[in-house]
Amino acid sequence: MAFATKRLGKELKKLHESLPPGIELVSAEDFQDWLLDIRVLDANPLYLNQTYRLKFKFSAQYPIEPPEVVFVNTKDRPIPMHPHIYSNGIICLDLLGSQGWTPIQNVESICMSLQSMLTGNSKNERPEGDQQFVANNRRRPRDIDFYYHDNTV
Amino acid sequence: MKVKIIKWNSVATWRWKIAYDDVCGICQVHFDGTCPTCKYPGDDCSLLSGKCGHNFHMHCIVEWIKQESSKGQCPMCRQKFEWKDNPALAAPTPA
Repeated sequence: MAFATKRLGKELKKLHESLPPGIELVSAEDFQDWLLDIRVLDANPLYLNQTYRLKFKFSAQYPIEPPEVVFVNTKDRPIPMHPHIYSNGIICLDLLGSQGWTPIQNVESICMSLQSMLTGNSKNERPEGDQQFVANNRRRPRDIDFYYHDNTV
Repeated sequence: MKVKIIKWNSVATWRWKIAYDDVCGICQVHFDGTCPTCKYPGDDCSLLSGKCGHNFHMHCIVEWIKQESSKGQCPMCRQKFEWKDNPALAAPTPA
């Protein structure tokens, strides 16, 4: 665990010192699960005045392996509407998969990527086959080979 | 007065011959510190410079390159990671 712990310790120290606008650290009690809140900074009507909660799960191989990142649904934290975000919070984003991940990414850069993924979106829809996926999926996000229906989003 | 030296100690400092304030992009530790798995900096935890110009702790970049998903690419620029032969000395020293 040394590798992940040391790197996460450094990231946590930095996050406590300063955070980019629209990103807040909610909890980081250990080096396995962290919660962060993100907001979209522009006036995109899809996400206006909303805050979204992200759950990060780190393996002992982080940052060699990507963390597992999902949106979580709580009383005042909905799952954002997006053609690459399933209604159970699973995110289909290449940098979070083993094909697109590189170890220079970090918690902050992931949050910023997700902010811009939302900012740039104008479609008020879920991915194709969302209901079926949400009903049947028992796999963890990192084990899913996402098929990108629409690479323009 | 005559002084007879009985014993003397010398102390030296060293650092790698690369950018002073740079950290390894993988573990985010200073190059002059060790990778997260080592205790003492130096030859046992050396640096590796890629031909693409990016440097890492050797142990860090090896962990990454071992992964199939790395496809042998540099984490910074995604070019094929090929190292220079004598990293610490071959790397240019920025002023």
